[in-house]
Formats: sequence, structure tokens, C-alpha cells
Amino acid sequence: MDSQTQAVAAAPERVRPPRRLAPYRRPRRDAGRNGFGYLLLAPQVVCFTAIGLISLISVAWLSLHQVNVLAGTQTFVGLDNYASIFADPDMKVILPNTFFFVGVLSVAGTIVALALAVLLNQKLPGINIFRSAIFVPALVTMVAWSLVWRFIVQPKGGVDALFALVGVEPLPWLRGSWLTLLVFALIQLTKNVGINVMIFLAALQAVPEELIDAARIDGAGRWGRFRNVVIPQISPSILMVFMLMIVGSFKVFELVLLLTSGGPGVQSSVLSFEIYKQAFQLNDIGYASALAVLLFVIVLALTGLIWQLRKRLVFHESE
Amino acid sequence: MSQSERKRFRAVRRIPNYLLLSIVSLFFIGPILWMISGSLKSENEILRYPPTILPEVVRWKNYERVFELQPFARQFLNSVIIMAAVCVLTLVLSVFAGYALARVRPIAAGAVFIVLLSGIFLPPEATIIPLFRFAGKLGWTNTFLPLILFTAVLTTSPIATFVMRQAFLSLPAEFDEAAALDGSGRWRTMLQIYLPLARPSLASVVVLSCWYSWNQFLEPLVYIRSTDLLTVPVALTHYNDPMAGPLWSVQMAATTLSVIPVLLVFFFAQRHVVAGLTAGGLKS
Repeated sequence: MDSQTQAVAAAPERVRPPRRLAPYRRPRRDAGRNGFGYLLLAPQVVCFTAIGLISLISVAWLSLHQVNVLAGTQTFVGLDNYASIFADPDMKVILPNTFFFVGVLSVAGTIVALALAVLLNQKLPGINIFRSAIFVPALVTMVAWSLVWRFIVQPKGGVDALFALVGVEPLPWLRGSWLTLLVFALIQLTKNVGINVMIFLAALQAVPEELIDAARIDGAGRWGRFRNVVIPQISPSILMVFMLMIVGSFKVFELVLLLTSGGPGVQSSVLSFEIYKQAFQLNDIGYASALAVLLFVIVLALTGLIWQLRKRLVFHESE
Repeated sequence: MSQSERKRFRAVRRIPNYLLLSIVSLFFIGPILWMISGSLKSENEILRYPPTILPEVVRWKNYERVFELQPFARQFLNSVIIMAAVCVLTLVLSVFAGYALARVRPIAAGAVFIVLLSGIFLPPEATIIPLFRFAGKLGWTNTFLPLILFTAVLTTSPIATFVMRQAFLSLPAEFDEAAALDGSGRWRTMLQIYLPLARPSLASVVVLSCWYSWNQFLEPLVYIRSTDLLTVPVALTHYNDPMAGPLWSVQMAATTLSVIPVLLVFFFAQRHVVAGLTAGGLKS
């Protein structure tokens, strides 16, 4: 202990000059530093890699098998499960549905959140009440939000009554088709958009006033200032929200299960629900595992792609 | 233009603003109000078309039936127990790991950080099948263990580690040297000097891990079999009559009961809740 203390105590004089050049590398690591660091990291890293890595490997392994849950046997079938994914006519509905949510929720979700943030960024008395109001659905569980909306969009429910007031006939909200997907997208979007609004509000409030004033003096209009000054300034937040929405948009699960069970047929189903249905309702573990691998690969590919594009999209890296 | 006239002019100009804000807010609050109204209607009234906006006769009995049909108090407690356990485990794992990544920086800390960060993009549906099989082999099905351990290790603590790392990075490194000069050991420097300074981020970690655990649906749906061990989100979906479909008013009453405590927490700790969820929004 004593020698350690001395080493640290003596460190400042010796270390400071080179540190300015390479801020993160300490030329002399005092004894035990690595040991202490690994000791602190161990519980998290060991558990995470053990459980995460093993489950990823075993889901990939299971996807190559035909699993009989009742008999407890599994036979190696190679890539058959993957072949049947692409031969399955249901997948011609489920995969486009999945990508519909990814596209709509990520793009519309980001734009709506930004628009709401701009709307809520005014200096008005009582603005905090409105900010809280938009945040409330984020506090409710997705199940509660889905159940409330199921109550609202049921035939002869609240929405039908509201539409009847303006003379619109009741619409088949939950009978499949694009209308059901649109309803789902809207319900899913309103649930957590408040969180993204708060992220954008914080970013908007951090934009330096001088920049906006300078643009005003240069004759930029409201839209010009927003487009050319504000957007580039908050672009790291936009990218972050966009990526989070992409990852989150694969999780339209509660809504599908509770409102339509993916039906009629598979018309309103998505990949995450199909994994659950195949694995835990139909006991087709091998096929469900192949779907899970597919989901993982899609998420990985999409986030990787956007991460690669970030340099072109984002004005400056915040970190 | 006099001072008061200008004031009035400004007030009038604000009216469209307030109108727009109110309409937008109604879209978010409306469903919640409709739920509360529905929870107090009789079974007949709730099926009426066109629906009544407010219940004609307020029926508090729906709230009694919530507890008659299912052990809802017990299920509520289950959710709280699991939530607290996830929260504690997440705090321990993420404070240590975050501190190590930000302040101690052993060799290869950067690589470790990237591995942990990948956890944020790991969809739970992709790993639920093997995890369910592990849980079965370990005898953990129909217990809280997978809901606590798997959730904390795979999901909440990687995000929390990210949050804690940022927190410790933003604190001055000089404290480390000063503490060492005064004879403080490594553990003491971490726990007594840096940790208290990172308190706002600790609150964020508490909020985000509680929120994530409280919201979980797929996992309890898969792991838990008996009604007594269910968590609130799954229990809410069980207010059905096998013949007649959903018991709307009782279900809305149960849903209202599940929402109120969270709204109360939000009301009293608004700043922390917003900070926690925007940090935890990472996995919304």
C-alpha cells in the first residue's frame, strides 16, 4: 500500500507533460491498477459474455436442428429451417410488415418527435404541463397502453364514436390490411415519443443563441435558421434517436399479441411475434431459432449500416 | 402602444399556440382519461354505443373485482420485488464496471466497452429461446430468477454501465491523485469520493432499470406459469371471461391501478424520471 501511495503521489510531476499529448495513456501504470480494473469489470463482463455469447451460439446451433420438444430429441437438418423461411408464403407478409414498422417508426418517429420538441420549446407560461402530458404514455407499460387502445379501437368503441360525430362510417381497424398496420404504428409511436421529445428538447436548448442570432443578422428566415443552423447542431441527437427507433421498431410485440394475435391469418404479424408464436405456441423451436437468427442479423446489419453512414449524416461527433 | 395593450396583444397571439398544444396533448392524455372513465362504468354501460363520456353511475365495485378475480396485490408485489432486485443488481454491476471503464482504465478497457455496448442492440426476442431452455435445465422456470438475472445482466446493466461511465468521465481526475495523497485506498476513493458525486446518474440508473423491469412482458409471459407468481403486465391481460371476451371495465380498473403508482413517482421525482428515461430510452 505504501509504495503504491508513493507512486501515485510522485506521479503528477513525471506524468503531466506527456499526458497532454496522449490524454488516455499513462506511461507508468502503478502496480495493481489493471488488477483492480479487471476485478471491477469481472462480474459484469463475465456474466454478460457468458450468458449473451452462449445464448447467441446456441440459438444459431438450434436453428440448424429439427427439435422435438415432447420427445426431447433434436436432429441435425443443416440449413433446412432457413430454406423453409424463404419458402414460407407467410413470410411474404410478415417480413414486409416488419420492415413497414421499421421504416415508418424510425422516420416518422424521429420527425414527429422533432416537431413536438420544436413546438414544446417555446417560452410560454404553463408549457411544462404540456411537456409532461406528452411524456405520460412513456410511463405506462406497453401492455397497459395496448389494452387501453384495444378498448378504444374495438368495434363500436371510442374511435368509432368519435368518427361518427364527423359522419365517417366505422372502419375495420383491426381486420388486417394496411389500416391495422397504420393503427399499430400510430399506437406504438405515441407510446414512447415523449422520451425522444425530451432528448430533442435538451439538444435544442443547448444550441448556442449566438449562432441563431448571427444567422438572423445574415438575413436567414425562420426555416433557414432551423434548417441550416439548428439541424446541424442537433444532428448527433437526431442520429441517436433514429438508431434507437430502428432497434425499438422490431419490438412491436405486445400490440400484435394483444390486439390481433397477428391475425387474420398472419396479416398483422411481425417477426418478433412470429418467433414467440413458433417457439412457445407451436413448439417449433428449430424454425423459431432460425427466425431469431434472422432478426438478429437484420438488426445488426441495419445499425451497422447507419453507424457507417454517420460521418456523412452528422455535422459533428459529440463524443 | 401602452404596456398593458402590448401585454394583451401578446396574450391573444398565444391563443392558437395553446390550442395546438392542447389538441396534441389530448392525443397523449386522452387514452388515459378514457381508461379511467371506462374503469368506473358498469358492464352494460361500457358496451353502449354511442359511448357515454363520463360514467352515469360510478361503479367502484370494478376495483374490488380486480382483486377478486386474481391475486392482484400479490402480483403487484411480485413486480415490485423483481424490479427492486433488477435495480440493485444493475447498480452494483454498472457502478463497478462504469468506474473501471472511466477511471481505472485497465488494458483493453476500450474493447470491453464495445462488447458491452453491443448488448444495447441485442433484441431480447433473439435470445429468449436458448435462455428459456437454460432456465428449464437449471430449474428456474416459474421462478423470478430468470426475470432478475437475465434482464439485469443482458439488458439493464450494459445501458447503465454506459450511463455510469459517462458520469465518472465527467468528474475531474485530480480527485484521484488528491485522495491518494491523503492516503485513501482505491476502494475508498471509488466509494467515498467519486460515487457520491455521481448521485444524479445513480438516480438515472435506478429509474431506467426499474422502468425496464416493470415494463417487461415477453419474459414473464414465457418463464412464469402460476397465477400467483405473475407480474402486473401479464396479469392485466388475464381479465377475460372465457365465454364473453374481455371484461372491459375490470380490465381498465386493473390497468388504472397499475398506472397510478408510476404517475405518482413521476409527479414527485419528475426531473430524475425524465433523466433516467432519456438515458434508458436507449432500449425503449
